[in-house]
Amino acid sequence: MIYLDSAATTLQKPPKVARACAYAVGNLASPGRGGHRAAMGAGQVVFQCRQQAASLFSMENPEQVVFTLNATHGLNIAIKSLVKPGDRVLISGYEHNAVTRVLYAIPNLTVKIASSPLFDQKRMLEAVERNLTEGVDAVVCTHVSNVFGYVLPIEDIAKACQRHQVPLIVDASQSAGCIPIDAGALSAAFVAMPGHKGLYGPQGTGLLLCGQEAVPLLQGGTGSNSKDQTMPDFLPDRLEAGTLNVTGIAGLLEGLRFVAQKGVSTIRNHEEALVRRMGRAFEGMPKVKAFWNGGQPGTQAGVLSFQVEGWDCEELAQKLGAMGFALRAGLHCAPLAHQTVGTLEEGTVRASVSAFNTPQEINRFVDSVRRVVARG
Amino acid sequence: MPYYFIICRSLTYAQRTAAALERAGISAQIFRSPKSLAGEGCSYVVKIAQKHLTKGLQVLHQAGLDPKRVFVFNSDGRYQEVAF
Repeated sequence: MIYLDSAATTLQKPPKVARACAYAVGNLASPGRGGHRAAMGAGQVVFQCRQQAASLFSMENPEQVVFTLNATHGLNIAIKSLVKPGDRVLISGYEHNAVTRVLYAIPNLTVKIASSPLFDQKRMLEAVERNLTEGVDAVVCTHVSNVFGYVLPIEDIAKACQRHQVPLIVDASQSAGCIPIDAGALSAAFVAMPGHKGLYGPQGTGLLLCGQEAVPLLQGGTGSNSKDQTMPDFLPDRLEAGTLNVTGIAGLLEGLRFVAQKGVSTIRNHEEALVRRMGRAFEGMPKVKAFWNGGQPGTQAGVLSFQVEGWDCEELAQKLGAMGFALRAGLHCAPLAHQTVGTLEEGTVRASVSAFNTPQEINRFVDSVRRVVARG
Repeated sequence: MPYYFIICRSLTYAQRTAAALERAGISAQIFRSPKSLAGEGCSYVVKIAQKHLTKGLQVLHQAGLDPKRVFVFNSDGRYQEVAF
């Protein structure tokens, strides 16, 4: 199988990830819950993971790195900490349901949408600026569209938010580990990300980088301040009730080390090159409509959506699946992004790459699409 | 031999404290707080040797990790809070 669904989860991981998980299952207990070797060993691994993440994302203090179950969990904490009923919230036209459903559940919210055509960063920034000038209470913005790979100008959006003194929540689900993120420079209120995509950790891991005070989503034991019946007022304990996923975190640590060793910029260049190869090949193919940036650097990450005339997207993905390619079709849990681009009714087939994909794999994939199109 | 316990509010804080001390060449070990020192319940201590206290406090101040409370374990087997 050639795996091209890394925007959902990277399946190919560095071998050390599985080894670290296996070691954790047999040797590590609950961090912060005891003074014995297995508990302290778990605490050490958890702390190393915080430090590694803080370093990768230029966070000064590892206590601001909070472990979550996934990006959705982190986004729930972030949004529910910042957004109150009656607020005006600005989002991009490329948000995932992990953002829009959370907002939809908050009563009396005014949700404004800043939109731009695909890969047009200038117009996206203009739309954000325009809405900020009109007045909003918070901005929630994805860094990279999970459907189209569109890289939003998050650094400029963050600067605009700072100028208008509006807190920013960044959904880094598709960018963490794939595009350099300097969370310190962004000065975002929160940056949420999964551990199981570009950071190569196992499923069930995520990180929330906290730039400001947060409201706990869960209450419970933290191994600290136990006499007090309110949650601790300090991070990370405030947001980490209950036993941590030490097994997952041990694997995530190895994933983070892999990314740091390889270099995020190297990974980005590699993934961009693969998408460029795919986009160029699709461009010359009749009946294929590929949503790619035409090779314009810096505007598309390792994700490319496409449609084939006469084919239902799910049936096409199934056909290509039978030929050995793992893809995802449909709306990708992001109907707003599809609505923005005009693909809400028909959906798309999405190919997404990782550091482990090769140009040869892309060639085989493109050849297979060509054969399917030729057969009709 | 007398030694000092630096009280830390959480395991993560204790780990940061110990890491800062170790970086400065000061041996530091993390333990659960003795119940009599735990204050609000369940905390951690970083143990350092008596000879390292002054330098240790300087290191922690520079790292923005000023301890709130420090105890000395006396030869009579009792803890005594240190004013600093």
